[in-house]
Amino acid sequence: MNGVQNGAMLGFAWKVALRELRGGLAGFRVFLACLALGVAGIAAVGSLTAAINMGLAAEGRSILGGDVSVTLTYRSATEDERAWMNAAGDVSEIADLRSMVGTVGEEVERSLAQVKGVDGAYPLYGAVGLEGIDTLAEGIEQRDGRWGLVAETVLIDRLGLALGDELSLGTGTFVLRGALTAEPDAAAGGMALGPRVIVATEGLREVGLLSEGTLYETLYRIRVEPGTDIAALGEDFAETFPEAGARWRDRANAAPGVARFVERIGAFLVLVGLAALVIGGVGVGAAVRGYLNRKVPTIAALRTLGTPAGTVFAAYLMQIAVIAALGIAIGLIIGGGGVALAGPWIAEALPVPARFGIYPTPLAIAALYGMLTAALFALWPLSWLREVRPAQLFRLSGGGETTDHIPRPSMLAVLVIATLLFALVVAALSGAPELALGVIAVITAALLILRGVGALAARGAERLARGPLGRRSPSLRLALGAIGAPGGGTVDVVMALGLGLGVLSAIGQVDHNMQRLIQTQLPAGAPAFFLVDIQPDQVEPVQARLAGIDGVERVETAPMLRGVITQLEGVPAREAEIDPDGAWVLRGDRGVTYSVEPPEGAVLTAGEWWPADYDGPPLVSFIDEEGRQLGLEPGDEITVSILGRPITATIANLRVVEWQGLGMNFIMVMSPNALRGAPHTHIATIYADEASEAPVLRAIGREFLNVTAVRVREQIDRVSGALANLGAATRWGALAVLLTGLAVLIGSAGAAAERQVREAAVLKVLGAERPTILSSFALRAALMGLLAGFVALIWGSVAAWAVTAFVLDGDFALAPLQALAVILGGALLNLIAGLAFAARPLRLRPAGVLRAEAG
Amino acid sequence: MTDTLISLAEVSLTLASPAGDVEILRGIDLSVAAGERVGIIGPSGSGKSSLLMVLGGLERATEGRVEVLGQDLTGLDEDALARLRRAQMGVVFQAFHLIPTMTAIENVATPLELAGRADAFDRAADLLGQVGLGHREGHYPAQLSGGEQQRVALARALAPGPRLLLADEPTGNLDGKTGSAVIDLLFGLSGEQGATLVLVTHEQRLADRCERVVRMASGRIEDDERRTEAAA
Repeated sequence: MNGVQNGAMLGFAWKVALRELRGGLAGFRVFLACLALGVAGIAAVGSLTAAINMGLAAEGRSILGGDVSVTLTYRSATEDERAWMNAAGDVSEIADLRSMVGTVGEEVERSLAQVKGVDGAYPLYGAVGLEGIDTLAEGIEQRDGRWGLVAETVLIDRLGLALGDELSLGTGTFVLRGALTAEPDAAAGGMALGPRVIVATEGLREVGLLSEGTLYETLYRIRVEPGTDIAALGEDFAETFPEAGARWRDRANAAPGVARFVERIGAFLVLVGLAALVIGGVGVGAAVRGYLNRKVPTIAALRTLGTPAGTVFAAYLMQIAVIAALGIAIGLIIGGGGVALAGPWIAEALPVPARFGIYPTPLAIAALYGMLTAALFALWPLSWLREVRPAQLFRLSGGGETTDHIPRPSMLAVLVIATLLFALVVAALSGAPELALGVIAVITAALLILRGVGALAARGAERLARGPLGRRSPSLRLALGAIGAPGGGTVDVVMALGLGLGVLSAIGQVDHNMQRLIQTQLPAGAPAFFLVDIQPDQVEPVQARLAGIDGVERVETAPMLRGVITQLEGVPAREAEIDPDGAWVLRGDRGVTYSVEPPEGAVLTAGEWWPADYDGPPLVSFIDEEGRQLGLEPGDEITVSILGRPITATIANLRVVEWQGLGMNFIMVMSPNALRGAPHTHIATIYADEASEAPVLRAIGREFLNVTAVRVREQIDRVSGALANLGAATRWGALAVLLTGLAVLIGSAGAAAERQVREAAVLKVLGAERPTILSSFALRAALMGLLAGFVALIWGSVAAWAVTAFVLDGDFALAPLQALAVILGGALLNLIAGLAFAARPLRLRPAGVLRAEAG
Repeated sequence: MTDTLISLAEVSLTLASPAGDVEILRGIDLSVAAGERVGIIGPSGSGKSSLLMVLGGLERATEGRVEVLGQDLTGLDEDALARLRRAQMGVVFQAFHLIPTMTAIENVATPLELAGRADAFDRAADLLGQVGLGHREGHYPAQLSGGEQQRVALARALAPGPRLLLADEPTGNLDGKTGSAVIDLLFGLSGEQGATLVLVTHEQRLADRCERVVRMASGRIEDDERRTEAAA
């Protein structure tokens, strides 16, 4: 055919498509629902992520607390540094540290708190939310010789405080003057180990919490003149103070941790949405198959009139494209519009700022995913139109299933290429290509396995129906026969329900194993407390006091400093070429200690430990894995900024560190002479049983006021809680997957309903009562659901095992109740979908059905 | 004195359609004695198939009294009607209406299993043998010809040993030779079982094989002819 003829044929195909679409969308409800649900999920997650990113960008100043933030560890700025800052703009100085706060009186209650010391300029941007007082200055100023304090409500509740009560902090007491309800720069900080407390920096200094060697950070927020080139300012600071060991952050990247987290969780949830879309694709395929079945007489007539197979294919492809576009549009309206409309409510629940609105990029990505999915799953059944002969069509006009075929090799090749293209597009757009490709590989494998299992199950059911089992009762035989019948929907149900339940099962099992690993494995060999800020002259008294408490098994202490790695082999750390997995070591300040002996349990993998009397140039022992990621080996030099002083040390050895036990371990252990004279405190780990935790806390709290005790069990609970929230978010995503699966089930049950109407009529003629017929329908639905649940459990558990073993690096344990719930849930869901369509076959009189059948 | 198996008095049937209500049966009075073989004949749309549906309890009369096998069908619910058919009726349709997911023997055994008969499959095998399909027991309907499917349907209808056999155009979808073979079986086997036969057909030739021929037109009985001898 030449181009003109091709154009004419396409024009004719379009006319046929429009005429066919006049029949309405009655047969496409499930198609539309499947596509709309999947697209809506992806559009919603994308819109939410975009809203948070926009919020973070727009509120960057408030989140950061300035246009620029410079963080120093263990120290305040030097005079030169401070002069540079003052020249750059208005400056606010903040001290941030962890400490214990406690009630004052006979019954002392103590709690770990994240303490912030601020000056009069704080906050440069945004506003502090307070209750009980009007301004922060009122809350923290010194009045009648006593400093004030504001604290988060959770701490006030925990300690049972009222405004005006006294609180111990460091070596002094403060007066609680107000409740802190909002901290503008909260998202910029790292992980807080306790509720926030704000006091005046001067007050902190008075109670000894900013003395030399204590663990604190000083943050300088700078408000610059509008139009200032912030990047150039950053470069100037780095060049002027190359050994400062400072962390520089500006408003464009105010909360990198939050932004990274939002990006990762957003990418993950989009992939979960993609799973929903793929399940929707199963429904799309089934709907297209059903549509073509109904259209056999029309297709037969068109072919008989001389319409080429390609034109018929084009006509139906156009119809499917139009309906898919409608489904995608509905999804975009629900997903994108829903998030925009619900913005005010979502914003209240979010801990970070968000700017809600309609964002075209995530909507375009969701639409693209929707189109690709619809094309992938519709092409398979549509390809039948290119292959079927007119004579076959007329034979099929009398009824029967038509399009459950294997396409010819050329079409299979097109489908494989389309799948790969889909995977590449998703990987490129997801922002997490490795994760995206992994998820797509798992979903594709799961779909193929489920399809195979569905087909095998159908064949097996057919054999069982014919065997002794089938002869036990007509209800069972009928149920097994329906599962095994061509076009019985078994493959669709197993694929849709199996994939949906499998995703839910995998997420549930991973969550269970993460919680289990944290709650059981980690604490088994972990200490009960960390003590920080122990002054050198307190080390022996602390050890002696703890030795007298029953249940304390052992106490380990070590000198504790913190330092920032500024150079690797003379190359500035930020310019060094390293394995990205090890970049975290360079990102902030890291723990440093010194020791004559190797730490207990450490194994040297390269180099030698220094002699006990070593007194040469500074040496350092580095942890093995991260050391290799940084390209370090014995003999190499690193420069570490400790208290603003650069210390260049030679790598003496690499050692293996067992992190999992939560014991005391440092990235860097230096030779004692390297840190001689550096002011520092000590850290201690206390190994004790649970019953002795309260006496330990009381003893430290009363007798060593400056020492901070971090209760490990409490922190593990905090991490568990955070993980539980994350688990809940992903479970909601998985439920969306299941919802799409349910739409497919309903579609499948709807398609089976017509056959059930015929069956019920014939069975009634043969004398079957309605309960008998109903039990047969219920049995087939439950059996199919059980099968899907079982397969979902297997593949979901394999996926969860892989994540647990290779990503979490832990032992996998199946959650038995959850496993049972997946299997029974499958049966129940399909039962509900099946029974929802059982009423009509039971209600209809046989005569009407059989009369219509006879034509 | 003969038992009356079917007794219809002033039976009407009106069905709803998009164009409005359609009167299918109008004032039918009919009485059939046990053991009779009655042919119901009439043109398309005369109401003969609907009359058969009413007799089988597959359709409810709009008015009048329907008494079949000693039961007033108008007073029975769907499940009671099903039990009555299971125990005492067999029905054969023009479109066969076999269950596509069951083999021939399973189709025949189904009504017996529903009745709780332990020998369901033995009897089904016996009946399939009687209709000449002993070798096709394990075949699905789609694997059988039209004539074979109708023979399976006949075996299924006769399986419970019904007192009343209702046949609606049983040869309508078959060629002449195959149809004759099925009719021979229908008359032969129902006769052997002593079942009362009501045969709906539009073929005079088939109706003539019955001792009694009821002629219908426009939903009414126009003629009820009893013969001393049926055609061979």
